[in-house]
Amino acid sequence: MLPFPGSALSVVQDMNSSPMTNTQGSPKSRPRQLVHARAVRRFKWSVLSVLIVVLVAVLFPVLMLQLYFSFHGYSPYGGSWWDAEFVGLELFEEVVTDPRLGWAIIRSLLFATGSTIGCFVIGFGLALLMYRPFRGQAFYYILFILPMLTVPIVIAYTGEMLLYQKGPVNDLLSSILGRQVNILWLANADTALLTVMVLEVWNWVPFSFIIMMAGLAALPDEPIEAAKILGASKWRVFVEIQLPLLRPVIVLALILRFLEAIAEFPKAWSLFQGGPGSATETIPTYLYIVTWQYFEISKGAAMSYVVLLIMVAIVLLAIQILRREKMGLDQIYDSRKETTA
Amino acid sequence: MSKKISRRSVVNGGLTMAALSSLPMPRMAFAASEEERIIAAAKATSGTDLKGMIWSNYYVAMKPTNAPFKQGAGYDVGSIQDISVFSIPQRAMAEAITRSPEFDFFHLDSNMIPSLASAGLLEPLDPYMEKAGFKLNAVGNFGNFMKYKGNTYGIVTDGNVHVHMCRKDMMENPEEQKGFEDKHGKKMAYPETWEDDQRLMEWFHRPDKGIWSSGNLRNRPNGVTWWYMYFYSAGGFPFDDDMNPTLNTPAGNYAVEVYLNMKKVSHPEAPGWGTPQMIPRIASGKIYSCQYWDGAIGLNENPKKSKTAGKYIYGTVPGSDFSGKRMHRSISSPVAAILVNRYSKNKERAAYMAMWWATQKNSETIVGDNVNTFHDPWHVAHFKSDKVYQTYKAGLPAINSCLQVASPPIYLTGLLEFQDQLAKNLSEAYVGQRKAKDVLPETEKAWKKIVRKIGKKKLKAELASYKALFPKVNVPS
Repeated sequence: MLPFPGSALSVVQDMNSSPMTNTQGSPKSRPRQLVHARAVRRFKWSVLSVLIVVLVAVLFPVLMLQLYFSFHGYSPYGGSWWDAEFVGLELFEEVVTDPRLGWAIIRSLLFATGSTIGCFVIGFGLALLMYRPFRGQAFYYILFILPMLTVPIVIAYTGEMLLYQKGPVNDLLSSILGRQVNILWLANADTALLTVMVLEVWNWVPFSFIIMMAGLAALPDEPIEAAKILGASKWRVFVEIQLPLLRPVIVLALILRFLEAIAEFPKAWSLFQGGPGSATETIPTYLYIVTWQYFEISKGAAMSYVVLLIMVAIVLLAIQILRREKMGLDQIYDSRKETTA
Repeated sequence: MSKKISRRSVVNGGLTMAALSSLPMPRMAFAASEEERIIAAAKATSGTDLKGMIWSNYYVAMKPTNAPFKQGAGYDVGSIQDISVFSIPQRAMAEAITRSPEFDFFHLDSNMIPSLASAGLLEPLDPYMEKAGFKLNAVGNFGNFMKYKGNTYGIVTDGNVHVHMCRKDMMENPEEQKGFEDKHGKKMAYPETWEDDQRLMEWFHRPDKGIWSSGNLRNRPNGVTWWYMYFYSAGGFPFDDDMNPTLNTPAGNYAVEVYLNMKKVSHPEAPGWGTPQMIPRIASGKIYSCQYWDGAIGLNENPKKSKTAGKYIYGTVPGSDFSGKRMHRSISSPVAAILVNRYSKNKERAAYMAMWWATQKNSETIVGDNVNTFHDPWHVAHFKSDKVYQTYKAGLPAINSCLQVASPPIYLTGLLEFQDQLAKNLSEAYVGQRKAKDVLPETEKAWKKIVRKIGKKKLKAELASYKALFPKVNVPS
């Protein structure tokens, strides 16, 4: 969102246009900047080269092997995999016409969207409460990030204990609502995916919390203070200054969480193994069933590639969104430079 | 009366003995005990201690028997990878695909034998059994569960079979008996058929008192196990001789009906419950009846762990008259057994170790462990053993009778795939995601694809092994 004329965000531009914040550097400091730039470049390459080596040595062979399986009809019951028959695109055709995969994709998208929104709303809410220093902040900080450090299987089993029909969660809801609540969290096909979603949100709220905490802490104080001096309400400061400045961070938090949620497996599997019925058969669950219960290694490989393509499409879209957000911010800061000039 | 022995006859006798002793005869043939023969055979091998993939819940009862073997043979199990028995099929298949010699043996459901043997992982054990003079002395036809295409691929450690259990204390109540008789016009009695069982369960269904009558599982991974019992007892078999699925038949639909009918008397959370949730309900008396793995008997009858010691009657699982004759069919799945890795350098040594655990004496120790009750009786001798009786008490004869009518799940290559397709559709029907009438046609469609993929010819060749596992009797003695 770009600032509209007269909005509090325009104050940001005015504030940032102060010569005090000019970071261009004098001609004398240029050699130092060059040395610094060279050091940064060297550091980048030293990190990148390691990543490239890992990619080539580890990921590439795996991807190639997967690709081989995708084009060969290998079955563990039919001899060695290197002798498997070449089947062309047959397996891909089978995968894209498989209605079970279609439903698995829909369930995964629903799950990822729901849990991402849940994580973000709660995580952001907590971050807003926590980002200004206060006494005992560190304690709450540790408390809030604990769920993220808990093993997903433990979360699943703990959740199971809490979510039985006669369990503490229904008891709590009953006492809050003043009537008997008998939600079948673990046995109803209509609520099973929601159950995993609730546990996922509990598990990963800290992730959104940490990112949003970092984002909020990095916001410049001056525009907020200036807006307050100009009489802006807290809500207006939040909506018109903090939120627009946080947008790239918000988008990043949402994208990373969404990608992570699409791959959720341990909780869904340990609680439901795809059931009741097929209510929790998401992409990872179905992939596991096809590959490691049906032992359709080749179909599993082809399916992985199809899913990979979907994920790449999502990531590209995400990068596009992030880039647009960055451009929005750049525009704000560029207008500041122009004013300075 | 004395008889004179000449010098010539002594010399002749000596010569005869010398000649006889030079004949090639099996070294262990003379009267050595089962254990001694196995140790002698094991001692002749060379190699290292063994590495196995086994769930510690099972291994903990087996371990105490290792010391004498180690003393005699010079080796035993050096290390294990502790994985749940339900996850080992996948891990074992991964070992098969990579042809890994890493593990010497796997302890898993023997119903995976066709799949794992087809993947080339399993070592046939018959030559080693012959060397050690070892035989699996199992009740009824149960020993055949270890066989595939004429070879023995497994050594059983756990005679898992479903046994019927119902509440004696509830059935012996005169008021209940009278009420039941008034309503149904027949005396309350131990259920002989699934229909009898349903009637009794409906009678004793008391959710207001915390008793949901049925303790049978209806979750996706396990519920299908019960369906097999209904199907087989109605005379059904899932394939014709040309490997066309024959699920959508009167017997199949009868089985679906029995399966879904039980929803009336099952806990509303049953679609999500497995053994960890159901066992405590059974042992705390919150059900009226169920067919359950026989290990539950040990728990029920242990007064320190259960509120129901002495309160259950155990017997043969109900049967069906659907086919025109009374037929009882229990189910054995999973049957935990030791399977030996063909790629292992210690395969012969692993085979002897497995046999050691399955001797009469050692298996009695393992099965008779009343704390770690993961291994259940299977050996003929277990049913005469005081030690085993102390664990299973009144349930022991029931285990015997159910073993006599024990049947397998789909004992073919591709078991997990066949089974999950059926399990998924049944579970969908149970929770209302699918119409009951679509369960079997849809499963048949999926099964046809599986048959095509694995190969009709190959599967047809396996049918004989599958059929050989079925009991020879319809009603156990």
